[in-house]
Amino acid sequence: MKYVIISPRLGTPGDEFDPGDSNVDHLVAGGFIRQSTDKPSKPSKVKTKPKE
Amino acid sequence: MATSTQLSNPSVKIGTAIGTIVDLTDQTTSATLTRTVEALEDTAFGTGSRTYVGGLENNELTVTMFMSYVASETYASLKDLVGTKCTVKVNPAYGSVDSVTNPGFILTDTYLESLPVVNASLGELNTIDLTFQGGVYSVDTTA
Repeated sequence: MKYVIISPRLGTPGDEFDPGDSNVDHLVAGGFIRQSTDKPSKPSKVKTKPKE
Repeated sequence: MATSTQLSNPSVKIGTAIGTIVDLTDQTTSATLTRTVEALEDTAFGTGSRTYVGGLENNELTVTMFMSYVASETYASLKDLVGTKCTVKVNPAYGSVDSVTNPGFILTDTYLESLPVVNASLGELNTIDLTFQGGVYSVDTTA
């Protein structure tokens, strides 16, 4: 699970936050971080035409 | 004789673990971190003075903070720490990285017994006093 920093109390807002093994539920509830909504990019669906 | 004076301006960070500590410096007005090694008396017959040996460490951090109930402020930072083992870190100089001249004093697994959720007096800003008891003491001098 990826998180993004919201509050400057925790770091630079916008930066990714890596909590390691720590429980971060209280940081999410407290408005310090949020879950990242970034989705992994999908591979291109464009297929190259095979050479004849 | 060389002297060194320093205006109090420490940084105070508190959280569940070192990776999740929250900077509450701008809400803090007082911080005292005391490292204590309990004295065990080992005076025996035949000596003229009391002597002691070191026992268990019994460290403590006391802080005074302004209370705020806004998101990501004092209450949101501390409410889930009551009755748990926490991590706190205090540096003498705010805004500077850990170094030999600005060591980060850390208490790991220090216990927060109580949190005054309301401490209101007419005409005064809300402040709270916190005491973190025990914990393992360490010093970070590397950035």
